[in-house]
Parts: sequence; structure tokens; C-alpha cells
Amino acid sequence: MTGIGAGLLLQLFLGALAVASALLAAPSLRSRAGGILCTLIAVTGFVTGLSALLGATGGLLIPIALPMDPLRLAPDRLGGLFMLIVSGVGILVSLYSMSSTRGPDASRTAWVAMPVFLVGMQLVPAATDSVSFLLAWEIMTLGSTVLLLADHASRATVASAGIWYSAMSQLSFFFILAGFAVLAAASGGTSFTNLQIEPGSWAANVAFVLFLLGFGGKAELVPLHVWVPRVLPEAPSHVSAAMSGAMVKIGVYGALLVCVRLLPDGPAWWGIAIMLVGGASALYGILQASVSSDLKVLLAYSTTENMGLVFLGLGASMLLRGYDATAAADAALVAALLLAVSHAAFKSTLFLGAGAIIHATGERNLDRLGGLGARMPVTAAAFGIASLGAAAIPITSGFVAEWMLLQSLIHGGRLDGAVVSVAASVAMPLAVAVIALTAGLALLTFVKAYGIAFLARPRSRAAADAREVPPVMQLSLALGALFVLALGLLPGPVAALVAHTISPNPTAAVQSVGLGGVSLPGIGAVLDPIMLVVLSALVAIPVVVSIIVSGRRHPHRTVDLPWGGGGSRARPRMQYTATSYAEPLVRVFDDVLKPSRDVQVTHVAESRYLVERVEVEQRVSDVFETRLYRPVLNLFQRYGIVVRHVANGSIHRYLSYSFAALLIVLIVVSL
Amino acid sequence: MFETFYPQLIGLCTGALLLTSALMVWRHSLLASIRLLALQGVALAALVAVIGIAEGESELVLVALLILSVKGVGLPWVLAHQSKASIKQIQESPRLNPTAALLAVTLLTILSYVVVSRVFGLGDTTTGHAAPIGLAMVLIGFLLLISRRRARSQLIGFLLLDNGIATIAFLTSGGVPILLEFAVSLDVLLVVLILHVFAGRMRTKFGGTAVDQLRELHD
Repeated sequence: MTGIGAGLLLQLFLGALAVASALLAAPSLRSRAGGILCTLIAVTGFVTGLSALLGATGGLLIPIALPMDPLRLAPDRLGGLFMLIVSGVGILVSLYSMSSTRGPDASRTAWVAMPVFLVGMQLVPAATDSVSFLLAWEIMTLGSTVLLLADHASRATVASAGIWYSAMSQLSFFFILAGFAVLAAASGGTSFTNLQIEPGSWAANVAFVLFLLGFGGKAELVPLHVWVPRVLPEAPSHVSAAMSGAMVKIGVYGALLVCVRLLPDGPAWWGIAIMLVGGASALYGILQASVSSDLKVLLAYSTTENMGLVFLGLGASMLLRGYDATAAADAALVAALLLAVSHAAFKSTLFLGAGAIIHATGERNLDRLGGLGARMPVTAAAFGIASLGAAAIPITSGFVAEWMLLQSLIHGGRLDGAVVSVAASVAMPLAVAVIALTAGLALLTFVKAYGIAFLARPRSRAAADAREVPPVMQLSLALGALFVLALGLLPGPVAALVAHTISPNPTAAVQSVGLGGVSLPGIGAVLDPIMLVVLSALVAIPVVVSIIVSGRRHPHRTVDLPWGGGGSRARPRMQYTATSYAEPLVRVFDDVLKPSRDVQVTHVAESRYLVERVEVEQRVSDVFETRLYRPVLNLFQRYGIVVRHVANGSIHRYLSYSFAALLIVLIVVSL
Repeated sequence: MFETFYPQLIGLCTGALLLTSALMVWRHSLLASIRLLALQGVALAALVAVIGIAEGESELVLVALLILSVKGVGLPWVLAHQSKASIKQIQESPRLNPTAALLAVTLLTILSYVVVSRVFGLGDTTTGHAAPIGLAMVLIGFLLLISRRRARSQLIGFLLLDNGIATIAFLTSGGVPILLEFAVSLDVLLVVLILHVFAGRMRTKFGGTAVDQLRELHD
């Protein structure tokens, strides 16, 4: 047995052990035992994924797992990368959940579901045929659904989220199943090596659309994202982190599997379609995130944005590859993968940070938070670094990925100085504009998320009484933040490694230069974050020194203004809130967001001219949900009521159906 | 001697089977239905015995005794296990009136003759000619199942259906092996016992055994 096979087997064994321990361990020990075993599962997956990414081959074949076919697991380099992403997030989440889970989140069912979810996510990128892939996919979905529903008894919104999630997951699964069925029918096999067919054929086109719908639904792309703002906020925070950080990446992996491995060199419209969907998701996601005042809803929509960018990169790469701009295509694809890696790091840290805030205050409404920076320093630092990553600020992982994507888009439209095609020369600048707008809005969004939650004064009692979370949770937050910084400062080795997964000639696309810098030789662009840091330090040190020196020379004097200048009596209510911060944006994007406003004016009893109180309520709903899903659901509901008479629970009616069916069969055969 | 009577005997038994089935649809009283069921069990046993003697198989005679004890005596006794006075008062109010029901029985019998003769062919043996009776009994049993409201009347429909299946088996292939027949009889007995207990629970819980009232699932 090879190392990878042993790793996979060990993971399955540890998974079984974790399930057993969840069932048998005493409630006081359950979280600790479950957390340790899940961490071990993730560490094993990390090592296995890393060795697959480094080029080790081998796998595991379990003959009796499926009725017809054996379960075949043998990750290639790309699968290894995604196993690495999933298990990396898994390590953070498992460590965190060891001390964060309590009440229904630490129930026996939840701790059984956790290893199932983790192992399921690991098996999807390891699968080498469609049947194994689908089985692992369903294990993953099942685990996540159970985890989501942990707290269903006390909150009705959780049950509703569970229904949305199950419905959308099954829809995704249906599309993926149909896609594989079309491919298998056209090619005559179920193994990934057999499934490759001529990309121009109608079967390939149908399969592509089905796969895009299926994997796009899992990757939270518009308009299949409607489960996201319900599910991610309602799930326990460590589960949201795992879903957003890892599970969503499995959707990306699926799309890559189809576009890079099964059906490479597709027609140009495939790339354009993916770019369109990706661009729309990025814009819509960040717009919704920027106006949300619920911290977890904000993070959920921001996931849609990031996945949109990943798909934008994938689409651009497919389009460029069609016009033989290989270097730019490879760079765009590496950028998309780096985005996925960095998103896994910062988004899981952000969700875990949000979980820490909820753990400390019980609040996730930004309008009721504030001043947590002084009370929870470690959480604040980790959340801050991850926010920088999400806003794509230099020296974080997000910046490197977006920089590379922009480089490939800007230079991609031209090959040796000539325009490669009209489509590319129109699509690339548009994509650049989309990314620019997205980046600006992301900056606003995360300034809001961090500033309102951690700075200024507490806006509620709960925020004022907040305490720092337990050390294990701090450790996992710090690890996540550390990775965001590490990837931002030393992107070269990671980018070079990632390039191996998608290109036969990786050094032509991406190289590691200097001290962890990254270079794109095909495009002629170089980024060296360490040099950037050194340079800016060289600029900053004299300034800082002069400030300190002048501060010494003029000692600080306390100035007490006679009337306070309005500042001495500032109350928490006078501060910016998340809603007021986002108000200009809501006005600017009024046509897209379609917020509903409700203004209630209460007059003083004596005079209509005096106002006693004004109440303003503003709700931003999801346009896709109200305009697209509601009508369809209402239609189904109407037919559902009609159909209910057919199956009304009466035994006589059901027996009559069987009798009628029997009679019809008899009459038909005797004709 | 026996050979001359053989077709008549088969005809007599199968005729009795069909007649009892039709009467079961017609009569509304539970006690009458149970008595008819007992009679049908006896007729079935007689049919098996006749076939057994004609074919010279002693095993079939044993099966006939088994059928007589289970379907002729055992099951009706289980069903009529209450005091005769109370069971006499149980009247079924079926969903089909007697005229329509008898008309349906006629149509089902014709249908089964058509189906068997078209699909399988009647063959040239005496038993083969009588085979459609079995199918007719199955269909009539099904009709009873869907037209009766009470759980116990439905049970009678189920037993009629089972008798029909047994009749088909004996008429077309000279019966099933004794072990199988024994197992099936035991199964049916078990089902009847369970359903009987179930009906009793229904009566104490809901005050009646009208299946119509059971529309919603409860935890």
C-alpha cells in the first residue's frame, strides 16, 4: 500500500473512531475527544493531501463499499490541493470546536456528524470515478445538514434554513448526477479517465451546463446562492467556517474537475458563461455584504463574492486558453486557485472570529456590538488580519491572489502585442472593472465589519461585558491569521506548487523569486511582498522616529475644553452604526438592492407640529429570492395543494389506486 | 368411477369458491361473512383433496387437512372470537351498494376469464379450465378491501385474496410443496392475529374500527 492509500485508510479509521467516541463518550468528555479526533483526521488529510500535491501517486480501493463498483480513491495533484485546503480548514475548525461547542452544538448527533462531514469532504477530491465522487458528495452533504440542524429545537429559523439547504443541496446533486449521466452515456464509462469526450459535441455542452448549475449551487454562485444567507448565519459558527471555508471549495473543485480535467478546451462560450456568472456573483455578493448589519450574513454574502472571483478567474483562463494565450491562462487559473486557498484561510478565520464574538456577547448584530478590541485583543487581531485579507490589502493572502488575477486579465487580452480576439478584448477590461468595483466595496464592507464591531464604544450591555474566549479558540484564530499573513508575505512557493496542479509546464506560468516573491514570466510581472515590507519600513522608520522624538520634546498636555466641544458627552448612540455606515451605499445601489423602508412618526399629543419619536426600519431582502424563487415556490405550493387530494391519507384511496393499476395491467395484457 | 365424477367435483368445489366470494360481497353482517369464509376454506380444502386423489398424491391430502384446519376452522374462529351476541350486531356499511357490488363481481369474473384465456390459455385439463376462478377470487378480495370500512371486514377481503392465490396455485400447478404451504398458512395466521390485535387496539383507542378516520400520522 502506498503512503496516500495508508493516509486515506487512516482517515477512515479515525473517522469511525470519532463516531464511536461521540456515541460512547460521556457528555463532559465528548467535545474534547471529538475535537482531538477530528483534528487528527484533518492532520492526516493534510499530510495525505500535501503528498498528493507534491506528486505522490497511489490510492485506496475499497471493493465492497458500493453495490456495483468498488470505491476508488486516488487523488491527483489538483485533488491533493483541495484535500489540503479542506483539511487545513478542518484543523482550525476542529481545534476551535473543542472548546466552543456547548448545549445542542455539543450533542451526540452533532459530534457524530462532524467527522462524517470532514471525512466526506476529504473523499470528494480523492475520488477517481463518478460513482465514488457522488457517494462522497452525499456523505459530505449529509454531515453538513445534520450539523446545521444542531440547534433546530430552540430556533425556528434553523429549521427553515435546514429545509432551504436540503432542497438546494439536492438540486445541486441532481444536476451533478445528470451531468455525469450524460457524460457516461456519451463516453461509456464512469471513471474520470474514461469520461473525457469531444468538447464540441452536444453531450459535452449539455453536461457542461448541468455541471455548472450543480457545482455553481454548491459554490454559492448567483442565482443559486439563496441558501447561503440563511444557512451560514444559522449554523453554529465552527460549522459555518467549515462550510464557507472548505465545503464551498469542493464546489470549486468540481468545476475545475469538469473544466480542466474532464472537458478541457471547451468552446469560447463556456469561458464567457463562467465569467458572466462569476462576475455577477462577485458584484451581487459584495453589494449585499456591504449593506448587511448582521455579521454572519455579511460574511456569508462575502463568500458568494469571493467564489464569484474564483469563477471569474476560471472563466478567463478558459477563454484565454481557447486563443492560445497559455501563459495568461495559466496565471489566471493559478490566481483562481490561490484565491480559493486564501479564501479558505481568511474566511474560516472570520467565521471563527464571528463565533468568538457570539461566544462572548451572544450578539451577531453589528449595530449592538462595539468596543470589543480592548476586551478581546487576540480575537480582534485575528479578525483584523483576516479582514485585511478579505479586503485584499497588501501583505495578506487576498492581495496576492487578486493581484495575479488582475495581471492575467490586463495582459491576457494581448498575445505578442496583438489582440487575441474581440471577445477577450471586451471581456477582460470588463472583468477588470468588476474586480475593481468589488475590491472597493470589499474594503468598505470589512472596514465596517471590523470598525463597528471592535472599535469605538460598546453599543450594548452584552458588548460591554464581553470577555476574551478560551485559549484553544484563540489558538485556532491565531493559526488562521498567521496563515493569511504567511501566504501574503511568502506567496512564491505556494503559487509555484499550485501551478503544478494545472499546467504541464508550471515554471513557464509561475515562478518563485527572491525571498518568497512570485513572478509571472509569461506576462512579465513580479510581486515581492517581503521587499515591499522592507521598502515601506525604510520609508516609515524615519517618520515614526521623528514622531517619537517630537513627542518626547513636547510632553503631552491634557486639554479640557470648557464645553467639551460636544465630545465629552458623546454617548454610544451618537456613533456610526453598521446601518448608518452603509446608508450611502444603499442609496447609490437602490435599484439593485430594492430595500423596503418603513418610517413611523409619532407626534406629541398636544401638537401635530412636534414630533415625539421617529422610527425608521429598513430591510434589504435578496432580490433573487423575492423575484425568482418566491414565484416558483408559490406555483409549486398551489399545485401541491391540488395534488394533496390525490394522496389524502385515506387507506381506501391508496388501495383503490393499486386495484385500478392491477385492473389496467390485466386489461392491457389481455388486449 | 372417480374419473367420471372428477370434472363435476372440481366444478362443484370451484363453484362453491366463487359463490362464497360473491356472497361475501353481498352480505353485510360480519358474522355471515365469517361463516362464508369458513365455508370457503372447506371448499378449498375439498378442492385440494379432490386434486390429490385424482393425481394420486398423498401429500396433497395432507395439505388439504392443513387447509381445513387453518382456513376452515382456525382463522374463522380467531375472527369470531367475540361473543356471538355482540358480533351479530356488527353491520358493515360498505362504500358500494349491493347491486353495484354484485355487478362489479360479475365484471371482474368475466375479466379474469378473458385475461386467463387470452394470456395463458385455458389448456385442456379440467383444472386449467377452472383456473380463472382463482383470479376472480383475487380480484373480488381486492374489491372487498377497498369497499369495506371496518378493519375486520377488510381482513376478510385480505383472506379472500389469499384464498384466491392458493386456488390459482392448486389449479394450475397441482399445489405448492407442503413446506411452503405450511409456511404461508402460518404467515397468514400470524397476519390475522396481528391485525386482530390491532383492530382491538383501534377500537379501544378511537371507539371504532372504521379505517376512514385514520388519515393523519401521529408520533
